Amino acid sequence: MRTSEISALPVVTLAGDDIAQVKDIAFSGNGGAVSGFTLAGRGRFAGPLKTGLLWTKVVGLGADAVIVADESALDPVDDVRRAAESADGSGASGGNVLGDQVLTDGGTDLGKVVDVIVQFDNGSSACDVVGYEIEASESLAAKASNASNGTRLLVPLPDTLAVSGEHLMVPASAEGFVSGDLAGFGAAVSAFRAQLDGKP
Amino acid sequence: MQWSQLKKHKVVSTATADKVGKVDGFLLDPATRSVVGLTLKKTDSGSVVRWSDLVAVGADAVTVPDAAVVLEPDEAQGALADKRGSVLKKLVLDDDGNALGTVKDIDLDPETGALRELLLDTRTVSGDRLLGVGSYAVVVRAD
Repeated sequence: MRTSEISALPVVTLAGDDIAQVKDIAFSGNGGAVSGFTLAGRGRFAGPLKTGLLWTKVVGLGADAVIVADESALDPVDDVRRAAESADGSGASGGNVLGDQVLTDGGTDLGKVVDVIVQFDNGSSACDVVGYEIEASESLAAKASNASNGTRLLVPLPDTLAVSGEHLMVPASAEGFVSGDLAGFGAAVSAFRAQLDGKP
Repeated sequence: MQWSQLKKHKVVSTATADKVGKVDGFLLDPATRSVVGLTLKKTDSGSVVRWSDLVAVGADAVTVPDAAVVLEPDEAQGALADKRGSVLKKLVLDDDGNALGTVKDIDLDPETGALRELLLDTRTVSGDRLLGVGSYAVVVRAD
């Protein structure tokens, strides 16, 4: 699922009431998982809320809504921000990677991040960041068939990666697992991570 | 029995054989997943009759013992009767956050009032999956 599709989703209780909508996605400090969401009120002109939603309180996340048990699932928004910082202690970028340049450890520029791909099982404890959608750089586009400069491609991520304000460092082998669409991307991520773990 | 067949049924007293009103709406209680009452119009007094007070729900009419069972709604009934508590035309979400469609009709047990099925645009959802009915959506358990 693309995180851009999560923004503006309504937050709905099991009782069927919409109590908020997603404003921003908070990533844990190392960018490896979604720690929660900041919220806005419902409606076009509603402002941000003082409450946020931790991922651990999410009952279900789908194409049309974020489901929570009831209003008590919302925590002060500072708790969400703190969770984003404390997940690995570094508190690096707060997780905003959009526009960052993706570099391989071999020094190749793959492109710029335009969206973040997450994967989760509803009811599980973690919402894992598994990849980035990038605007392909010239060098990557030249290697990928049917891609041109600026084509959007999906790059799988290892479990952990180095993030600075402007660069994301991925293993050079990630290049081999770039895929064009979301269907089948999950398999590419698994294959890529298995290969990093040294499994065949 | 589907709601669309029950709607507009006349409500007749078995004591006097008088027509006491017309079925206008239903009160669906998500906690018990059953219809706990009917709202009526064109009555002399009150607008709600509890399902447990009905004598029978038949193919052509709903019968009640007498007009005295038609009451003004209490607070709980009023909450179920307003727009927030109604399910018709409302969006249906499963608890995984995916939309299934909108409610077109419901199928209920004419004996007990139990909700058998929610009838959506392109599918039906078993009544025992119902979790809640709120201002935004009807929430059901995912498959």
